[in-house]
Amino acid sequence: MSDRPVIDMRRLHRFFGSTRAVNDISFEVMQGEVFGYIGPNGAGKTTSMRILATLDIPTYGDALVDGFSVINDPDRVRRRLGFMPDYFGTYADVNCREYLDFFARAYGLRGNERRRALGHVMGFTKLDGLAEKPIRGLSKGMKQRLCLGRAMIHDPSVLILDEPAAGLDPRARIELRQMIRELADKGKTILVSSHILTELAEMCDRVGIIERGELLAVGTVAEIQRGQITHCQIKARIIENVPAVAAWLGERSDIENIRVDGQLIRFSHVGETGEQAKLLREMILAEFAVAEFGIEQRSLEDVFMHVTRGVVQ
Amino acid sequence: MSATDASASPFATGDPSKIDAGVALKHPVWQAIERAIERGGERLNPILVKEARQALKSKQFVITFTLLLLAGWVWSMLGVALLSPGVYYAPGGRFMLSGYFIILTIPVLVIVPFSAFRSLAAEREDGTFELLSITALSSRQIVTGKLGSAMLQMLVYYSALSPCIAFTYLLRGVDIVTIVFLLFWTLVASVLLSTIGLVVATVTRARHWQVLLSVLLLVMLCIVTFIWTMSFVSLITDTQVTAFDDVDFWLAMAAIMTFCISHAVMFVLIAAAQISFASDNRSTKLRVMLLVQQTLWLGWMMLFWIRFEDKTILYFFVSVPAVYWTLAGACLMGEAAILSPRVKRSLPQSFLGRMCFTWFNPGSGTGYTFTVANLLTVGIVTVAAGLTAELGGFAAAPGNLDWLVFVTLAVAYVVLYLGIGRLVVLLLRQLGRVTMLLTFLVNLFLAVVGVAMPLFFQAWLEGYSRISYSIVQMTNWAWTLEEAADGNLLSFSLVPIIIYCSAGVVFLLNLLFAIYEVEQVRLVTPERVPRDEHEIHPRNDDSRRRASPWDEPMAT
Repeated sequence: MSDRPVIDMRRLHRFFGSTRAVNDISFEVMQGEVFGYIGPNGAGKTTSMRILATLDIPTYGDALVDGFSVINDPDRVRRRLGFMPDYFGTYADVNCREYLDFFARAYGLRGNERRRALGHVMGFTKLDGLAEKPIRGLSKGMKQRLCLGRAMIHDPSVLILDEPAAGLDPRARIELRQMIRELADKGKTILVSSHILTELAEMCDRVGIIERGELLAVGTVAEIQRGQITHCQIKARIIENVPAVAAWLGERSDIENIRVDGQLIRFSHVGETGEQAKLLREMILAEFAVAEFGIEQRSLEDVFMHVTRGVVQ
Repeated sequence: MSATDASASPFATGDPSKIDAGVALKHPVWQAIERAIERGGERLNPILVKEARQALKSKQFVITFTLLLLAGWVWSMLGVALLSPGVYYAPGGRFMLSGYFIILTIPVLVIVPFSAFRSLAAEREDGTFELLSITALSSRQIVTGKLGSAMLQMLVYYSALSPCIAFTYLLRGVDIVTIVFLLFWTLVASVLLSTIGLVVATVTRARHWQVLLSVLLLVMLCIVTFIWTMSFVSLITDTQVTAFDDVDFWLAMAAIMTFCISHAVMFVLIAAAQISFASDNRSTKLRVMLLVQQTLWLGWMMLFWIRFEDKTILYFFVSVPAVYWTLAGACLMGEAAILSPRVKRSLPQSFLGRMCFTWFNPGSGTGYTFTVANLLTVGIVTVAAGLTAELGGFAAAPGNLDWLVFVTLAVAYVVLYLGIGRLVVLLLRQLGRVTMLLTFLVNLFLAVVGVAMPLFFQAWLEGYSRISYSIVQMTNWAWTLEEAADGNLLSFSLVPIIIYCSAGVVFLLNLLFAIYEVEQVRLVTPERVPRDEHEIHPRNDDSRRRASPWDEPMAT
C-alpha cells in the first residue's frame, strides 16, 4: 500500500430536494488500500459511490480519482475505475463470454488485448467453465463473480464495489473476500461497502462510517475505537470470593457495567492501558485470587453500533 | 493504468491462441479473408455486435422473421391463385408487389422502430445503461449502436422478402425504378422513425411515463404505417404515374431526402444529448445542426423560388422557419446558463471566435440570440429574394409589397413573443428551478394568450358576430399575419410599427440580460489532462492543435 491518494473525496455534498443524501464528506483512499464503507440503509453510501463512479454529480464539492475530477474529467475517471453496483445489470439472451466480450469492446479493448483480458478475468473469477452458459441460468454467486469480472475487464486501478457480498452463501462470500484481497495485493485500490461487518473487518485496511450523509469516523478499526470509545471491556476470572470482588469493583468510579457470570467478571474501564495495569495490581494487593485479566477486543460491529445512532432520513 | 496500456497489463500474460482459437483455416487466402473480417469486426460499434448477437437469439426476432417469411409465402400462393389463369399472359407485377409491400412495411415501419425504442428504454429500466455509460462508449456511440442494430434488422427483413419482390418484376407490369423507389423511401422512413423511437426512449425514466409513451409511439407508428402503405400502394397500382420523368419531382425528392437525413441526425443528437453526462455540453452540437437545417432550407427555397417563380413561395419561405425557430427557441431558452468547468475548457477564445461562436454555447440568453439571428437571416434572405425579383423585373416579381409586411411581421412576432417568454422565465428562475418543458409551456401559453385575449376582449365589446380586425388585435399574431398576407394591413399601418418597435425593445432587453452568458471565458485545461491524453494516444497530440481557426494557441 502506497501513501499516494487514489480516491480523494473533497467536501462532497449531494442533495435531493430537502434531503441531504451526502453532506460534506471528505476522505482519501491510498493506492492498494481496501477501504470499507459502512453505514445503515439510506446513509448515503450508494449515492457517494455513484458520484465516484461518474453516474451522478455532486451538488457541491468534488471527488478525484487518480487526480482527475469526476465532474470535469469523467472519461478519464472511467478509464481508471471499475464499478460493481448493488444490482446485476445483465442482458437477456447473452452468455458469460459474450457479456464480458461486449464490455471489453465497450472499454475500447481490441483484438488480442481483448482476448487476453477475457481469459484473465474468466480465470480470476473462475468462470472459465461457464463461458458458454446463458447469464439467466447463473446462480447469484456466479452472477456476482461475473459482475466483478465486468468491473475489472479493462484492468482499472480503482474498484468500487457496492454491497458485493449481499445475498451470497458463506462459501461465495469467502471466495469473494479472497478475490478482493488478491486484487488489493496487486495494487488495486478498492472501496467496498457492505452490511456484513465481520467480512469488512477481515478484508479492509481502513473503514469509514457514514450515517445520515455524514462521515462519522474514518480509520482502522483500532483507530476508531481509540478515537471514539474512551472505555474498554475487561474480562477477569476470579477463583474465589467473586461477590466481594464485584462489590470492590463497584465502589470504583472508573468502572461501569459490571456483569458476573460464574467465575467471570466483565466490566467497562475508563482509562488508558497503564491505569488498567494499576487496577490489576490493586486487585492483587487486595488479595483477590485473579487467575485471568485481559482486555476484550471490540469487533467492527461494536464500533459501528457505538458510532452510529441508527437514525435514517 | 490505462485500458490500452497492454504491455503493463497483467492480462498480457495470457495466451490469446488458447482462449479463442476458432476454426483454423489452412489456405492463406481464407486466412487473409478471415483476418480482414476480424479487423472489420473490431471496428464495429460494440452495441451493434451485442445487439446482433442478442437479436439472433431473441424470440421477438425469430417470431417476426418467421411470420414475415410465412406471410410472403402465403401471399405468393394466394396472389398467383387470384391472378390465374391470366398470370401466364397478363402483367401481374403491380398486384403482387402491393401485397409484398404491405407485408414488408409492418415489420420495417412498426416493429423495427418500436424495437429501437424498447432496446434503449430497457437499458435504462434494467440499469444496464448505467454500466454502459461508465465505459469508454460515448452517448452518441450508444445511440448510433442502437440505430445500427435497427438498420441491421431492416436489412434482414428486406433480404427475406427480396426473392418475392424480384418475382414481381418477372411477372411484368412494374419497373425497377418503382420498386427501388418504394424500397428506398420505406427504408428512409424506417430509419427516421427509429431515430424518433430512440428520442422517445430518452425522454423519461419513470416507469409509468415510459408505458404511456410506448403506447403513444406504437399508435403513432401504426397510423404512419397505414398512411404510408395506402399512399404507396396507390402509387404501385396507378399505371398512369409520370412523375418519374419530371425533373422537379426528383428535385423535390432530393429536398425531402436532405430533410430526412438532417432530421435523423438531429434526432440522434437529441437522444445522445439526453443521455450524456450532466456536465457535458448538450447544446452546441444541436445548435450546429439547427443551423445546418436552416441552411438546407434556405438553399432549397432559393432554388424553388428561382425555378417556380411563384409568389406564395415567399410566404412559405419565412412561415416554416418562423414556426421552426419558435419551437427550437422555446426549447433553447430552457437551458441553464451555468456552464460546467468541463464545458468552459472548450469555449471560443479569440475576440472573433467569441463574437461568432458564443451563441453556440449552452444558455437561455445565447439560445434566444441564436434563434433571433437565424430567423433574421431567413427574413433578410427572403426580403432580398423578393426585392431582387421586384427591382430586377423578374417574372417572379410579386407586384406589391404585402409579402414584405408579412415577412417582417412574422420575424418580429417571433422575436417579440420569444423575448417576452424569456423574460418571464428569468423572473420564474428567481423563484425556483425552471425546466425546459416549463419554458416551452410558458412560450406556448403566451402564444395562445396573445391570440385568445384580444379576440375575447373585442368579442365582449362588439359581440361575436360583428367582430372584425382592429388595432386591438395587435397581439393576435395569427390574424395580423393573415391580414398582412391579404394586403389589408395598410389601413392599420400603426400595427406593424408598434410590433417592430416592441420586438426591438424586447430584443435589446434580452441582450442586456444575456451579458453574463457572453462574459464566460475559457478555462485552462489542467496540465494533467493533455498529458494523460498523450499517454493514451501518443499519435494524437492535441495540445498543439487548434480546435478552430478562431482559436488562439495559448489558453488565457
